[in-house]
Amino acid sequence: MRLEKCWFCSSTIYPGHGMMYVRNDAKIFRFCRSKCHKNFKMKRNPRKVKWTKIYRKLHGKELPQDTTFELERKRNRPERYDRNVVEDTVKAMKKISETRVEREAQFWKNRMRGKKTQQRREDLAELQQGIHLVKAPTALLEEPSLTLPKEKMKVKVSVEQESKAMES
Amino acid sequence: MVHYNLKRITVVPTGKDFVDIVLSRTQRQTPTVIHKSYAINRIRQFYMRKVKYTQATFDEKLGTIIDEFPQLDDIHPFYGDLMNVLYDRDHYKLALGQLRTAKRLVEKICKDYVKLLKYGDSLYRCKQLKKAALGRMCTLMKRVGPSLAYLEQVRQHMARLPSIDPNTRTILICGYPNVGKSSFINKITRADVDVQPYAFTTKSLFVGHTDYKYLRWQVIDTPGILDHPLEDRNTIEMLSITALAHIRAAVLFFVDVSGSCGYSIAQQAALFNSIRPLFDNKPLLVVCSKIDLQSLESLPEEDRQLIMEMKKEASNTLTEEGVINVKNTACEKLLQHRVEGKMKSKKLEDVRNRIHVAMPRPRDTRERPPVIPAGVLEARAAAPPRAPRRLEKDLENENGGAGVYSANLRRRYILADESWKEDVVPEIADGHNIADFIDTDILKRLDELDREEHQRQEGESEEEDMDDDEFRKLSPEEQEALAAIRLARRNIREEHRLKKTTADSRPMVPRKHDKDKRFTVSRMERHLSNLGIDPSAAAARARSKSRGRKRDRSLGYDEEDGADAMDGFKDSAQKQQALALGKKAMKKRNKFARKGEADRTIVNLRPKHLFAGKRSTGKTDRR
Repeated sequence: MRLEKCWFCSSTIYPGHGMMYVRNDAKIFRFCRSKCHKNFKMKRNPRKVKWTKIYRKLHGKELPQDTTFELERKRNRPERYDRNVVEDTVKAMKKISETRVEREAQFWKNRMRGKKTQQRREDLAELQQGIHLVKAPTALLEEPSLTLPKEKMKVKVSVEQESKAMES
Repeated sequence: MVHYNLKRITVVPTGKDFVDIVLSRTQRQTPTVIHKSYAINRIRQFYMRKVKYTQATFDEKLGTIIDEFPQLDDIHPFYGDLMNVLYDRDHYKLALGQLRTAKRLVEKICKDYVKLLKYGDSLYRCKQLKKAALGRMCTLMKRVGPSLAYLEQVRQHMARLPSIDPNTRTILICGYPNVGKSSFINKITRADVDVQPYAFTTKSLFVGHTDYKYLRWQVIDTPGILDHPLEDRNTIEMLSITALAHIRAAVLFFVDVSGSCGYSIAQQAALFNSIRPLFDNKPLLVVCSKIDLQSLESLPEEDRQLIMEMKKEASNTLTEEGVINVKNTACEKLLQHRVEGKMKSKKLEDVRNRIHVAMPRPRDTRERPPVIPAGVLEARAAAPPRAPRRLEKDLENENGGAGVYSANLRRRYILADESWKEDVVPEIADGHNIADFIDTDILKRLDELDREEHQRQEGESEEEDMDDDEFRKLSPEEQEALAAIRLARRNIREEHRLKKTTADSRPMVPRKHDKDKRFTVSRMERHLSNLGIDPSAAAARARSKSRGRKRDRSLGYDEEDGADAMDGFKDSAQKQQALALGKKAMKKRNKFARKGEADRTIVNLRPKHLFAGKRSTGKTDRR
């Protein structure tokens, strides 16, 4: 039993899920769900579809290459069973995935660095541009801070006699 | 040589039927319409065709009969003789000959009349000629009638003859009537021959089949033979004689030692001697039957003497008892006999010429026998006989048999350590395939990875992100303002979008007919104060403006904020009263459920076109 990768979105396909398409030239396409399959039928290029892993790697949203990825590689020649090797491998797998997670987190941090500053700058700009929607220019003159104006006059909400609707 | 299928000869019709068949066929298959005003050639052709067609049909049908019935000279002499015995050769030949002549004569008639028809000058003349021709053909057939009847009988009987292959391995059973021949055949084959206490129970040949050494053997049961000269024999006995004469088979001559058949051993011996010439060239077996009634030893001396004499003729002396033994011996003898025969024939040479056994040419005359060292020979003698190896099959049988036991293939695994054979090997862990990670130097790789991590982490700790706060944060009031701005923007967008979609269908109502009261002064005041402006001046101005239009309004009319438009009434009280009156007027009507002006009416409850008149298609039981 093998866990395969979806051709479109690169997620793992567990047993009992998804579909496999074999083309006339004997190339096999595996899909994890009908969403990927339908996208494939529409001839969409996964490199241009935002939510796929390929796109993300290509456009620098995720860790593109790393030694941890190279440790996981499909080997075509089967190795003779050796209990010790398998034990070590299982333990190593855990360690490898941990390091990979850490590295991906670090990558994300690096990507997001400077975002806060930029965000604040943008907020300020928006505030400055749009303050006229919530504060009259005269009020702004009196009080040049970029905050909501104080209530100038309490409007008397008089409870008038409820005249019945003129139009029934 | 034509192959005849005696069981599949077409039915021979009687004379009358024959004529009927042929004439009706002619009538059906040839054109029937003719008129005397047609061209004479056409008339002639029409009638000539009829005559020719009838002749052709006769020809065809007689031809099939003649071809299908076997020629007695063409078939195996056994069958030839058999049919002679059963049907009389002369009669048979005569009947077939008659049919042949009839065929020829019909042809002649046809030729003659066609010649005459060529010169027929009217329809009537041609028609008469045709009638004459067909009539003569039919009378011919009538004369042949008895032959046809005879041939039909022959056909029916022939179809029921037992299918005896005269060339294959056969065992023939003969002897006096009632000696136990049919019982024997019943025992060794699946044949179901009648066994009764009276003589001549079996009246014809019966065939059964049995197996020996993976070969099929025919066993032929014959009717009993009595001891009198050939000329005096009746048909039934002749059957047995024919079979004996023509079929190369192993002959089993049955002797009844108890005498319960009604004939003494002496008589049986006499019969044996008289038909001895028929046993030439055939392996012979003398079978003593019914020994349960009287065993061989208790026989009187002369009888035993007679039997011994008979046995001398038989090519072996056997005293075996039992039916199966008899069969086996007979089969063996016949096989030997046949093999000898084949060896003497020319066919053997053909086969021999094709076989060649290659022997290596000796390079010198030295003898080279196989050499087994003495030590090995001794060891072999000394060693105990080896116990049979324990096979997988034995294991299977011990553990429940074929469907229950499934072999453990892991026993044959080649691994570095034997204890690993029964391991459950994991394939998948945490969404990854273990097989993708397996590597003999995985530990080394892991160490490298650790080192890398160390380096990376050191590098990380150096560059802490302190500079992410280089721009100041917004204060909470500023954030409030930002939120309000965003909300306002969103609202503008939404409103615009709604307006856009309903632009075509939305009426352009001028503001003074503002039903939803979106443009009241109080609202304006509220909006302005939210923006931070003092609204009192604007409100006053708005109100004063509306107050200026005194001429169009009655006195006392104030556009009160929140007040409703009057619709022509003096005040709201008046309006209320008017509405109430209107409703009251309707009450009575509603209560009595009467139709009002606004209610739907059907002018014509029973329109004529639906309730009267017939329908062009269909029934009118529903209206």
